Amino acid sequence: MSAEPKAAGNGFGAFRIRVLLAMMLLVSAVAGGGLWFAQRNAADEARGEFQREFSAALASTRSVREVRHALLAERARALARRPRIHAALEDGAPELLYPSAHDELADVLGGADAGMAGLPYALHARFYRFLDAHGAVIPPPVPLHAGSAEAGTPDTGMLGAEEESRLALPGLPEEPQIGYLPRGGAADGGLDEVIAMPIVSSENGDRIAAIVLGFRPAEFAGAEDIHSGIWAAGRLHLTSLSSRGQELLSAEMDRETARPGHPEGSFTTQADGAPELLFFTRLNPGSRFPPAYQVSLFPLANLRAHQQRLLWQFGGAAAVLLVAAFGASHLLAGRLSRPVERLAADSEEHRSGRVRAEAALETTSRELARSARFSADASHQLKTPVTVLRAGLEEMLAVRDLQPEQREEIASLIHQTFRLASIIDDLLLLSRMDAGRLRLNLVGVNLSDLIAGWLDDLGALPDGHALDIKTDYPAALPVLGEARYTTLILQNLLENARKYNRVGGNIRVTARHEGDWITVAIGNTGRPIPPSSREHIFERFHRGNAGEDVPGHGLGLNLARELARLHGGDLRLVRSEGDWTEFELSLRSAEAQSAVLKVQEA
Amino acid sequence: MSPRFSYKSAFRSAWTAVLLAAFLTAILSSPAFADETASVAGMVALPKAPPAPVMVRRYEIVSSRGVLAPFPPLAVIYLEGPFPRPPTPAVASMAQKDLAFDPALLPIQAGTRVEFPNLDNTYHNIFSFSPTKRFDLGRYRSDERPIPSETFEVPGLVTLRCDIHEHMRALILVLDTPHFVLSDPSGHYRLKGLPPGRHVLKAWIDSRTTLSQTVTLNDGAEAAADFP
Repeated sequence: MSAEPKAAGNGFGAFRIRVLLAMMLLVSAVAGGGLWFAQRNAADEARGEFQREFSAALASTRSVREVRHALLAERARALARRPRIHAALEDGAPELLYPSAHDELADVLGGADAGMAGLPYALHARFYRFLDAHGAVIPPPVPLHAGSAEAGTPDTGMLGAEEESRLALPGLPEEPQIGYLPRGGAADGGLDEVIAMPIVSSENGDRIAAIVLGFRPAEFAGAEDIHSGIWAAGRLHLTSLSSRGQELLSAEMDRETARPGHPEGSFTTQADGAPELLFFTRLNPGSRFPPAYQVSLFPLANLRAHQQRLLWQFGGAAAVLLVAAFGASHLLAGRLSRPVERLAADSEEHRSGRVRAEAALETTSRELARSARFSADASHQLKTPVTVLRAGLEEMLAVRDLQPEQREEIASLIHQTFRLASIIDDLLLLSRMDAGRLRLNLVGVNLSDLIAGWLDDLGALPDGHALDIKTDYPAALPVLGEARYTTLILQNLLENARKYNRVGGNIRVTARHEGDWITVAIGNTGRPIPPSSREHIFERFHRGNAGEDVPGHGLGLNLARELARLHGGDLRLVRSEGDWTEFELSLRSAEAQSAVLKVQEA
Repeated sequence: MSPRFSYKSAFRSAWTAVLLAAFLTAILSSPAFADETASVAGMVALPKAPPAPVMVRRYEIVSSRGVLAPFPPLAVIYLEGPFPRPPTPAVASMAQKDLAFDPALLPIQAGTRVEFPNLDNTYHNIFSFSPTKRFDLGRYRSDERPIPSETFEVPGLVTLRCDIHEHMRALILVLDTPHFVLSDPSGHYRLKGLPPGRHVLKAWIDSRTTLSQTVTLNDGAEAAADFP
C-alpha cells in the first residue's frame, strides 16, 4: 500500500510539469511569434527607410544629371545653329568649318582650363569635333606646330587618334546623344562626357553633320556616404575606390549589365572589403554611343549595424519576456494544479474508502449468502430425517404390547419431532426471506378472524397457567397480508404471551384503526425482559433469560418481525417492565390500500 | 507706304543711274554700239508661289531641298555676255533693314562695289563663305562710316549671311553683263537699251535653274521672248 501514494505524488508532479510546459510553450510561441513579427517589421522598416533615403539621393542625383544633360544639349543645339558653321557646311567651305567653329566656341572652350577646372558642374568643353553626314569624324586641320602626337589643335582640343575614332557614330542621330568615352590608355585616364548634336541644314532640312562636344564628367556630391562613379566601356571610374576594388566591381557590372532590357538595377557587393549596396542606372539610355552606367555605392555597414542592434534588442526583450513568462507560468501552474491535486488526493481517499467498503460489503454479502444457503440446506437436509423419525416413532406407538411408560416416552418423542419440524420450517422460512425469495401475495385478510381462531385453539390446549384472556378489537380488521404468514406473526406473538406468562396471569389483545394502519397490541403479565436483552430479543436464537422450562427455540420474534416488515408493517416492543410486557404490531389497513392495489393490478 | 513701292522706287532710281552711266560709257568707247535702242520684253513663267501671309511683303531668300530662291518668286533676266565693264566701277547697295537684307536678291555686273548699310538699331555681321566671294565684314552698327562694302569681281552666285541673325540670307548674282533686269512678281519683264543682233537671253529663277533662249534683236524694235 505504500507504493500508491508515491506514484500518486509522482503523478501530481508530472501534472504540474505538464501544465508548466504547456504554458511555457504557449507563452514562448506567442512571445516568439510576436517578437519575430515585430523584429521583421522593424527590419523591413529600417530597410524601407534606407531605400527611401537611397532613392531620394539617387533621384536628386538623377535630376541634377538630367538638368546637366539638358544644359549640355542646349549649348550644343545653340552651336549647331550658328550661321558660320552652316555657311561652312552649306556654302561649300569645309576648310573653314573648324576655324569658324572655333570662334563660335570661344566661350565654350578655353575657360575650362583656366580657373573653372575646379567646378564640378563646369559646362566648358574640353574638345569639339564634327561628324560628317555618315557619322564619321571630320578631321580637324593639321596642327600648326608639328611634332605633336595628338590630332587636333589646342583650339579644337587635343585627342588621340583612338579617342577621336570613338566619337564616330553609325549614322547621324535625330536627337542629341550622350556618351561617356574613356580617355587615354591609362587606368586613370578619366572619362569624357560627350554630346553629339545633329546639324540640320537650313536649306533642305537634312541632317548634314553633327557637332560633338566633350566635357569633363560632372562629379555629383550626393549624400555624404554615397559614392558615385561611372561605369563605361568595361571600366569603372570611381575615385573613392582603390583600383583593385574598381576592377572587381567592373567585373560584376559586366555580368549585371550583360542582361538586356534593364536600364537600371542593384545588387549587394563588397567594395574594398566593406558591404555596399550598388545601384546602377543607365546614363545614356537609347544612345548610339556605348552604354554607360552611373554607379552609386551605398555603405550597408550602417544598415547592418542597425539591424544587428535591432536583433540584439529584440533578443534581449525575448529573453526578459521568457524569464518573466517562466516565472508567471510557474506560479500559475502551481496555483492551477493545487486544487487539482487536492481533488486528486480527495478522490484517492474516497476511492480507498470505497474499495474498503465494497470489500466489506462483498464479504458480508458472501457470508450472508453462505448463511442463507446453509439455513436452506440445513432445513431441507433435516426435514427428511425428522419426518422419517416421526414415522418410526408412530409405528412403534402402534405396537400393542407397549408399556404405558414406553408409550408416553414415544409420544413425548413424537412431540419433539413436531417441535423439530417447526424449527426447521421456521429456519426454512427465514432462509427464504434472507435470500429474498419470499414474495407475499398481499390481499385483504381479516385479522379479527385470525385472532379469534387462535384464541379458540388456545382454549383447546391443555394449560397449567390458568390464564385470563382479555380482548378488545372490532369485528372487522382488514389488513394487507397473506393469511398463512399473517397468522404466523400472530401465532408467534400470542404463543410467546402464553409461554412467558406467569401462573394466574392474563393476556390482553387489543386492536384499533390508526389512519391507514391497524395496530394490534398484545400484552401479557410475567417477568419483564431485562433492559440489557431488549435490544437483542429480535435476533435469531436469542432466548433472553427464559428458563429452560420454557419451550421455544429463539426464532419466533425474529420471524415475526421479519414477516411484519415483509407485510409493510412493523413489530415493536412497546413496554416491558414490572409485570407487564407488551408488543405492538402495525399492519397496513386493507381498506386504505384496496383502491391503490386495484389500480396497481389494473 | 508699302515696302514694295519703296523697293521699286529705290531699285529703279539706283539702276537707272547705273544703266545710264553704262550706256554713256558704251557710247563713248564703242562707236559700233552707238545706238543701243533695241529692247526685249516678255514673261517668265515663275514657280508657283504658295499663298504668302499678308504681312510678308518683302523678298527673302528661302531654301528648299537645297535650292536657294527668292520668295515670292522673282526672276533675273539678262543678256549673256561677255560685255565690257564700265570704266568706273558701278556701286550697288544692299541694306540690312528690319533684320532682313534689302533687297534679298541683287544682280550686279562683275566689278561692281556693293555697299551694305545697316539700317537697324542692332549689330549685323555680314559674311559669305561662298567660293565666289569670301568675306566677313565683322560686326557694325548703322553709324559705321564708311559704309562697309565689297567689290565682286568674279561672276557667280554669292550667299550672304549674318553671323548674328541666323535667319538672314541674301543672294548676289554677279553677272558678266550690264544688261539685266528683275521681273515683276508676275514674271513680266522689259529689258531695254540692248544692242541689236543675235544674243542669248537667260532667266535666272533660282540657284539651280537658269533658263535660256536665243533672241534676235532689231534696232528700235521690241522683241518678244517668253520663258515657259
